[in-house]
Amino acid sequence: MRTTDSHEVSQLNELKIDVSALAFDAHYVLSGDMIMCEQMPIFGGYAGGLEETTIVDVATTLNSFVMMQATWHLDGPTHVRWGNTTSRETLAIAGHACMAIESELDLMMGNQYYTTAGPCTVMCLLETAAQAITDTCSGREVLSGVAASKGVATNYTTGLEARFMGECAYAVAGMETAKVNELLDKLISLYEKDYKQAPVGKPFEGCYDTTTLLPTQEYLDVYDEAVKIMTDLGLDYWTKKKSRVDA
Amino acid sequence: MTLARPLTVMDVYDRAKTGPKVEEKDWDFKIIPQTAMKLKKKYGIKMDKHKIIPEDEALCKNLFKAGLELLATCGVYCIDTHRVIKYTEEEILASVTAAPKTAQFGEPGVNGRTIACRKHDDKRPPIIQGGPTGAPCSEDLFLKIHQSYAQEPIVDTIVDGVMQTIKGKDPTPGTPWEIAAVKAEAKAVREAQMRAGRCGMGL
Repeated sequence: MRTTDSHEVSQLNELKIDVSALAFDAHYVLSGDMIMCEQMPIFGGYAGGLEETTIVDVATTLNSFVMMQATWHLDGPTHVRWGNTTSRETLAIAGHACMAIESELDLMMGNQYYTTAGPCTVMCLLETAAQAITDTCSGREVLSGVAASKGVATNYTTGLEARFMGECAYAVAGMETAKVNELLDKLISLYEKDYKQAPVGKPFEGCYDTTTLLPTQEYLDVYDEAVKIMTDLGLDYWTKKKSRVDA
Repeated sequence: MTLARPLTVMDVYDRAKTGPKVEEKDWDFKIIPQTAMKLKKKYGIKMDKHKIIPEDEALCKNLFKAGLELLATCGVYCIDTHRVIKYTEEEILASVTAAPKTAQFGEPGVNGRTIACRKHDDKRPPIIQGGPTGAPCSEDLFLKIHQSYAQEPIVDTIVDGVMQTIKGKDPTPGTPWEIAAVKAEAKAVREAQMRAGRCGMGL
């Protein structure tokens, strides 16, 4: 590892720590490493409801810089029932916590992605889009993902999810907040009724040719379907990109 | 009056040994939820979950005040010493004000990136950190999965997954196999970046 790689240390839920985390944080600090301090507050957990969890998220974010001398904080509000970071409630917590910090301070903050659906599904990409839009338009510095299938299934993660996360971020950077909220309300309503029956999708070896490392045509078609939905919702990023390629 | 200085992790550890004793279940089920609820009422905080990003500046400022007060009032619980690490509000503000505003991901050059504070309406996009974000990856596909991320031009830096086995062994936390797995992960991600032609990229 270089000093310029992110050295991770995690807080515990909620506002807790263990001594071993402090010990290896001391190693990072004394080595001059870039430090990323992670914490994922749980909506519906110890803190309770929407507002209480957001207050805890703000406190936890501040604590990364107080306790760990972090370079940046990695958030990840998680829904206690669905185990995702892409639910309406957890996106609202992330969006509000980041804007609360931005209203008073300049701190570097990221958010991590745990979708309900698995790779090679439109739902997974739409969940990713909603979080990328939330994070970009609430002022976060780093988008970190994607752990599809809630990050618990082996090999259910591929580069195409990150491509979509990045393209959605590029598509909305600078957008007016009222317009962002309108877009998010429509986008989240497209998938939030499907958590119970979320599609499992396919593992890496079903999404990519494992020799050439190119995505399968099936996944590229799913990707195009998600792009069409985002374009229909009013994002012109892909239309402009295509015109540049065609010109 | 002495001005507060930013705290260090050494200060924090010393306080973890001397702070007030608290039962962990009281922390989890009483102190944190009750204080958060009290602060929600004190600052009149009400969120609308159909507005994912707040449009009301007063709401943002009140959420900040409540979060700051929660940290200053409660502190942080150390699960090993069963004590509370306490900070003053001045120490918190001195520490967060001293936090870096910019940093370098990876090596300077074509595949390294500079991270810098941005605002919600900033036209500059955020850093795209692609990767499994801690999701489990099998030993045989670990490198290929990470290469699939590194080869995406829009990806700026990599966040790795967890290698499920190392030489077929379970990398149980706190054992030599855990160290072997973590070192293998870092080497594999670096190799994935190089195979994707992204030498110098951060991880």
